[in-house]
Amino acid sequence: MKKLAISFVLTLLVTVGLMAQVDRSKLPASGPAPEIKIGEAETFTLDNGLKVFVVKNTKLPRVSFTLVLERDPILEGDKAGMTGFVGEMMMGGTKNRSKDQLDLEVDFIGGSLSASSTSVYASSLKKHQDKILELMADVLYNPVFPQEELDKLKKQSLTALAQSKDDPNAISSRLSSTVLFGKDHPYGEIESEATINNITVDDVKKYYSTYFKPNIAYLAIVGDMDKAEAEKVVKEYFGSWTRGEVPKFTYPVPQRASKRAVALVDRSSSVQSVINLTQPVQMKIGDPDYISSRLLNQILGGGSSSRLFMNLREDKGYTYGAYSSIGADKLIATISADASVRTEVTDSAVYEFIHEIENLVENGVTEEELAKAKAELSGSFGRSLEQPSTVAQFALNIDRYNLPKDYYETYLQKLNALTVEDINATAKRLIEPDKFIITTVGNGDEIKEKLAQFGEVTLYDNMGQPAKELVADADMTAEKVLEAYLTAIGGEEKVKAIKTAKISMDANVMGTPLNIAFSYDPQNGRYGQKLSVGGNVMQKTTLADGKAAVSAQGQQMDLTGEQLEAVMLNSYLFPEAIYQEKGYTLTFDGLKDVEGTPAYKVIISAPSGAKLINYYAQESGLKIKYENPASGDTFYSDYQAKDGVLLPMAWTIKSPAIPVPLEAKVTTLELNVPITDEDIK
Amino acid sequence: MNKLYALGLVAGMLGTPALAQNKIDFKEFTLDNGLHVIMHQDNSTPIVVTSVLYHVGSKNENPERTGFAHFFEHLMFEGSENIDRGQYMNIIQGRGGTLNAYTSNDITYYYELLPSNELELALYMESERMLHSKVDQTGVETQREVVKEERRQRYENQPYGTILPETLVRAYSVHPYQWAPIGSMDHLNAATIEEFQQFYKDFYVPNNATLTIAGDIDYAETEALVKKYFTEIPEGTKAIFRPDVVEPKKTSETRDVIYDNIQIPAVIQAYNLPPRNHPDSYALTMLSTYLTGGNSSLMTKELVDKQQKALVVAAIPLELEDGGIFIMYGITNMGVEPKDLESEIDRLIKQVQDQGISDDEFAKLKNQMENSIVSSNSTMAGIAENLAEAKVIYGDTNYINQIMDKFSQVTKADIQRVAKEYLDLNGRVVLYYLPKSAQPTTE
Repeated sequence: MKKLAISFVLTLLVTVGLMAQVDRSKLPASGPAPEIKIGEAETFTLDNGLKVFVVKNTKLPRVSFTLVLERDPILEGDKAGMTGFVGEMMMGGTKNRSKDQLDLEVDFIGGSLSASSTSVYASSLKKHQDKILELMADVLYNPVFPQEELDKLKKQSLTALAQSKDDPNAISSRLSSTVLFGKDHPYGEIESEATINNITVDDVKKYYSTYFKPNIAYLAIVGDMDKAEAEKVVKEYFGSWTRGEVPKFTYPVPQRASKRAVALVDRSSSVQSVINLTQPVQMKIGDPDYISSRLLNQILGGGSSSRLFMNLREDKGYTYGAYSSIGADKLIATISADASVRTEVTDSAVYEFIHEIENLVENGVTEEELAKAKAELSGSFGRSLEQPSTVAQFALNIDRYNLPKDYYETYLQKLNALTVEDINATAKRLIEPDKFIITTVGNGDEIKEKLAQFGEVTLYDNMGQPAKELVADADMTAEKVLEAYLTAIGGEEKVKAIKTAKISMDANVMGTPLNIAFSYDPQNGRYGQKLSVGGNVMQKTTLADGKAAVSAQGQQMDLTGEQLEAVMLNSYLFPEAIYQEKGYTLTFDGLKDVEGTPAYKVIISAPSGAKLINYYAQESGLKIKYENPASGDTFYSDYQAKDGVLLPMAWTIKSPAIPVPLEAKVTTLELNVPITDEDIK
Repeated sequence: MNKLYALGLVAGMLGTPALAQNKIDFKEFTLDNGLHVIMHQDNSTPIVVTSVLYHVGSKNENPERTGFAHFFEHLMFEGSENIDRGQYMNIIQGRGGTLNAYTSNDITYYYELLPSNELELALYMESERMLHSKVDQTGVETQREVVKEERRQRYENQPYGTILPETLVRAYSVHPYQWAPIGSMDHLNAATIEEFQQFYKDFYVPNNATLTIAGDIDYAETEALVKKYFTEIPEGTKAIFRPDVVEPKKTSETRDVIYDNIQIPAVIQAYNLPPRNHPDSYALTMLSTYLTGGNSSLMTKELVDKQQKALVVAAIPLELEDGGIFIMYGITNMGVEPKDLESEIDRLIKQVQDQGISDDEFAKLKNQMENSIVSSNSTMAGIAENLAEAKVIYGDTNYINQIMDKFSQVTKADIQRVAKEYLDLNGRVVLYYLPKSAQPTTE
């Protein structure tokens, strides 16, 4: 009744206001702040230790069940990546249902069911709750962990790992974890091909039988279900789940760097640098500085009107976005500030990051910034309550972090009571501007020297491991490298005795056999390269009568100029033996690391600009890598003598076009045999 | 309920009696200037969503000036006579809110989500945008740069990012759906400030807009505030331009190869759809779920799980007012030729066309649809958008409460029928996305 009266008065006012024209020059004032009510979570515990939270919300006729395991982080060591497989392995079938049946039964009720190494999640409409609970319990109690499911997951994992080695953001996050935490910490160890291949079904089974125990589990029920019903169904489906001893782990607390330093991954193809300034911080929900650290981060780089964004994007235009974060974690969290910036401005961007962080710690924040950050965070807190799962999350946090019962009820009060002095004190307590590690993934040649002004620069590889830095002898030249190569494979005389060659190689890409055939006849200016799948030529390159062409997918293209010249360069089995007579020039580009082997980089260039970039091992003299920015890199190994000349029998091709490296083995190699037109066409 | 029950008998799905939708209550009115207003009250959380749907999308553009509708979405955050440049977002965020907008081929949609005591602010901000937004040279120059970056991020730099524009341009020969909302940078560069101002006058008028307010509100108070801020906005003086061309039915397949910055090849197929409010739309949505919705769906189970020919397959009906496209895409697994994957996709389509689907499969489909319809109104932002679309696209706000009913009318035979009628191999578009490195060139 009172509300009605108010709006009536208001309507009157508005009518009057209209006649007097609306004053549009001022923003309307805020109405009285609404009361933020946090829904109630009811709780009970089963005899087996399972803690249950029930948040009833009948707006929609659906219900969800989220089971979470609370265990210490695990150091996986030589099986890093194993926990990543547990959830899908559990979903791979049960004693009662094959994977197909399980998928079908979940879809049949329009529900969803998923698992991870620390959770099982199920949801459905209210009327299907018994079915989804039955399926959830089946996955929880009776998984059979099929070997073929593990094989499939490993394959996917290895593909993803291969892709990630060329993804600058993935390289950056891997680098940050290894430099901050080290391989002996659960947050610092990384998955590799070796650790993934080490994982067995037994490992997954052992993990499952050790950790899926009710005494370390929470179950959150959200939706159309009250406490009485929850008690009934939980008892029915989870009452017989038996307790077990679950191991606990502690880890030494990671320390900050003693001074600012740069960790660089040289990714020569980069046009942008991925920069991340980072340091560990001990911060968890409920920490005395927790709420003030949220506000602090909001002001520094939490959003699109924060200091970092306004400076690096809006003012300088270095990047599409620059942000910061202050994590929260039981074990250890990180403070980070990051952006992807154009290569040319890498050092300027780092300078601005450091400036903003130092300025924040030394000079603090303003009243105006704090008021805005409070409004932003209060607003997002209020909006988050629209989802009933937020209430369950709050209840879970209170238990997990031992928070006062009214922690979230009084959250906004606590937030709004914080002063500029509080925020500034938190900044000084948490952030040490001179102890950041600046990780950078970018074009090393362009940025390495410029980054030295910020601290010692250490090079890492794309797996976050220290890279070897190599320096060639001062008197080394390209000519000497090529001479050493020719000597190593059998001497110039024997090499020149080889006039023609036919090489056929087989490779296997995830079950599909592939053949690559090369035909060399340089004296007659002929060359052919064919890629076939199942006997069908998919792609070929030909050179004959001074003309070159490439065809693929039924399309043909004739090559001219630099492209024609490039095919000619490739038409020699031993370009090292003929560069002088052909008038090609050589460039020596130092000693490089080729997958752990020091090798000299030599570029053979034709006058048109076409070039071959090759790497010759420092120790053996053999050619071990051919680099091609367009088609990818080829690695040569398993050299064997043919007609007195050493030739590589194994070629590994890595290209952005293929997610996993292609391992090709030479099956036939014929020297000084006639090359027919059929070989070329 | 009776009708649903009878349908259940026919479909042999008595085990799961159909469920009525949770009703969404609303009130609506239209101002003298033509602005239609929809209100939905839900006081459970103290938040309010305020949205304006302008019935203008890329299909309303001049073919020589594509990208205008989307460009305006950016321009409309530049400010107004009373809101300084660049302050629009700051004001909303500073009061604890969040905001966004999007542009489709049919509509442009703006919304703010704020604490409920900021309703008046939201109405003021949206009325400023409608009354006298800033359309000047500085704003145009600034947003041109931003749109360039957006294009780079979302289309050029994004693997498979150009699928939509490349498909649309081949799926339509006469209808303006042939260009995507991002449009042409050249067109935007060539446009004069007068053209931009004219577009604003033509389309950003109250009689082309629907204002929706959903959340912790009082109906009377909200209506009064809406009148306070929107009554003075003048009605547009011209008829709104809406294209009335009908896309002719294609009789031959269009097939092309696109070389993109990707690692793994993809196969895309597109089939033309009837208008969005056509009765067959419901069966087509169900068909797409049958093909690729869920782990047990026909194509996901067969091509991803069993044959492992695809990493992922998806069938998505892109529903548009004048008839959209049914897009199907598959990303190949390692070492699988696109052709190989495509012929398997075609085989499965043919299977549905020839054999239809089983009773069990139909029952599963019904349950999946029910779950997704129930979940579609789970947030205030979602409800506001669904209300506005119900009014503008389907001509009746109460359509929001009839969706379950519409789906209940679809029969098992309809699924097979629409598969035959619309997934016509002869008129479709097929694109292969291949890695740039596979493009014929020198090594």
